[in-house]
Amino acid sequence: MKMLNSTIIRIIHMKKQKGLGKLKKYVFLYILLLPSILLTLFFSYFPMPGLLVSFMDYDVFKGFNSPWIGLDNIKELFTMPMFLKATFNTLYISALNLAIAFPAPILFAILLNEIRGDLFKRFVQTVSYLPHFLSWIAVIGMAHSIYSTYGIVNDLRVSIGGEGTERIMFLADQALFVPNLIILNLWKTVGWNSVIYLAAIAGIDSALYEAASIDGAGKLKQCLCVTIPCIMPTAVILFILNIGNIFKDNFDLIYGLQNPFIDFETISTIVYKQGIAAGNYSMATAIGFVQGLIGFILVVLVNYFSKKVNDIALW
Amino acid sequence: MNKNNVLSKFWGWINVAFMVAMILVMLLPYLHVLAKALNDGTDTMFGGITFYPRKLTFVNFSVLLNDASMIRAFFLSVARVILCTILGIIVQFSAAYALTRKDLPGCKQILLFLMIPMFFNGGIIPTYLLFVKVQLINNFWVYVLPGLCTFYNILIIKSYISASIPESIGESAVIDGANELIILFRIIFPLSLPVLATVALWVAVGNWNDWSTTLMYVTKEHLFTLQYKLMQLIKESERIQKLIQEAAISRDGAGAALSLKATPESLVSAQVIVTTIPIIIVYPFLQKYFIKGITLGAVKS
Repeated sequence: MKMLNSTIIRIIHMKKQKGLGKLKKYVFLYILLLPSILLTLFFSYFPMPGLLVSFMDYDVFKGFNSPWIGLDNIKELFTMPMFLKATFNTLYISALNLAIAFPAPILFAILLNEIRGDLFKRFVQTVSYLPHFLSWIAVIGMAHSIYSTYGIVNDLRVSIGGEGTERIMFLADQALFVPNLIILNLWKTVGWNSVIYLAAIAGIDSALYEAASIDGAGKLKQCLCVTIPCIMPTAVILFILNIGNIFKDNFDLIYGLQNPFIDFETISTIVYKQGIAAGNYSMATAIGFVQGLIGFILVVLVNYFSKKVNDIALW
Repeated sequence: MNKNNVLSKFWGWINVAFMVAMILVMLLPYLHVLAKALNDGTDTMFGGITFYPRKLTFVNFSVLLNDASMIRAFFLSVARVILCTILGIIVQFSAAYALTRKDLPGCKQILLFLMIPMFFNGGIIPTYLLFVKVQLINNFWVYVLPGLCTFYNILIIKSYISASIPESIGESAVIDGANELIILFRIIFPLSLPVLATVALWVAVGNWNDWSTTLMYVTKEHLFTLQYKLMQLIKESERIQKLIQEAAISRDGAGAALSLKATPESLVSAQVIVTTIPIIIVYPFLQKYFIKGITLGAVKS
C-alpha cells in the first residue's frame, strides 16, 4: 500500500514536472521565433494596408484620410502611354532574357561537363562565377570603362576597321540600350546560374551513360538522350519561377544604365520616378499593385499547367 | 570508328577553346578597368589602354581618398555589413532552429506567416510610406532592420539542420540533463556552422553590393554607402569635375597640375576597383561557401 502510494505520488510528480518542463521548453522556442515574427509583421505585413493608397487620391498631409476614388487610378493607368510603354518594355526585356539568358547557363553547364582536366574545369568555374559577386553598379562602371569613346571596344573596332572608323558612344545610343542590358545581364549571370545545372548533371547515374554508350550512342546522342532529360526537371522549375517574374525587371541594372540620352522606362523605374522621386504616391502604388497581382496570378497559373502537363510543380 | 574518334577529339579542342574564350571574356574587362585606374587620366584619353597601365600613377586613387565623404562611406558600408551579418545570423538561425521542432504548437502557422510575404507584399511605395511614418528615412537602421529576417535563408538553415542533425542528439542531451540553451549553443550551433557560413556570406555580399536602398530611402550625404557613391560618380560627371578641382585646391598649386591628370573616366575606373576589391580579396573563400549554399537549395527543392 505504501509502495503504491509513493509510486502514484512519483508519477504525479513526474507528470507535473514534465508539463512544466514542456511549457518552459516551448517558451524558449517562442522567444527564439519572436524577432523573426516581429520583423516580418512590421516590414512585410504593415506595408500591406498601404496598397489601399492605390484606391485613394493620396495626399501626404492627409495620409490615410485622403479621399477614396475607387478604381479610378487603376483605370487611368491603362490609358497612360507611359505605363503601357513601360509594361511593354518590361515584357520585352523579360522575353529576351528568357530566350537568351535562360538557356545560356544550361548550354554552358553541358559544355563544361565535357571538359576533361579537373584543374582547368575548376578554374573556368571560378572565373565565370566572379561577376556574380560584383554589384550591378560596379558592372555598369566597368561597362562605362570598356565602352568609352577611347575604351578597348572602340580601340578594337578602329584597329580592325582602320583609322576612319567612327568611335561609337555605346552607352549613350538609344538603339544599343536593350542589347547592352542583355549582354551585361548575360555576362553577370551565365556562370553562376550554371551551378545548379552542374549539380544536376553531377547527380546523374553514370550507369545511364554506360548503357547508352553500349547501345552505340555517341557523345552528342548521350547528351541529347541522357543529360538533357535528366536536367529537365530543374530547368522546368526555374522556368516556372522565371515566368512568374516576367512582370518584374532588374531595377539596379536598368536605372544604373539610364542616362540623359536614353529614353527607356520599365515598370520598376517608373514606380521609383513617379513615386519616390516625384511624390505621386497613388499612381506609383497602383502600378506596383497591378504588377504584383499579375505576377502572382502568373505563378499560380504556370504552376498549375506545369503540374498537369509535366507533373513538376513548386507546391 | 576512327573517323568518329577524330571528330570527338576535334570537338574536345573546340570546347576547350570556347572555355578559354569564356575565361578571357570574364577576366579581361576587370583587368582593363584596373589598368585604367592605375593609368594617368589624360593619357587614358588618347586611347589604346589594354590590360596594363601605360603611365603608372596612383593619382586617381589619391583624388578619391582625398574626399573625406568617400572614407566615411567606406566605413559606413563596412559597419553595415558587419551589423547586418551578425544580427541577421542570430535572427535567422534562432528562428530556423525553433522551426525544426515539429512538436512545437503552431509551428505550421508560423511557417505560413513567414512565407506569405515571399509571394505577396506591399511593394515599394507602401513600404516607403511606412518608413516615412516611423522615421526610417535618412536613418542608418534602414540599412539593417528590413533585411534581417529573410525567409529564404531561414528555410535553407532549417532544411540543413533537419537533414544533417538527427533529433536524437537533442533528446539524448536532454536525458543527460542539458537545458535548451545548452543544446542550442553547444550542439546545434557548432553542427550547423557550414550552412551558417554560407548564409552569412550571402548576407554580407548582398549588403555590400546594395545601393538601391540608399537611392530609395536616404538623401543625407553622411549616410551614403560606397556603392551609392560609385553610382553617383557614374551618373554625375559634373560632380567628378568638382572632385578633381577640390583635390587640386587642397594640394596648393604644385599639386594642381598633378591632380588635373585625373579625369572622370579614370576616376570611375578607380572607384570600381575600390568598391570591388574587398570582394575580389575574399572571393576564393566566398566561392566555396556560395556553391555549398546553392546545392543545399537544390536539394531542398
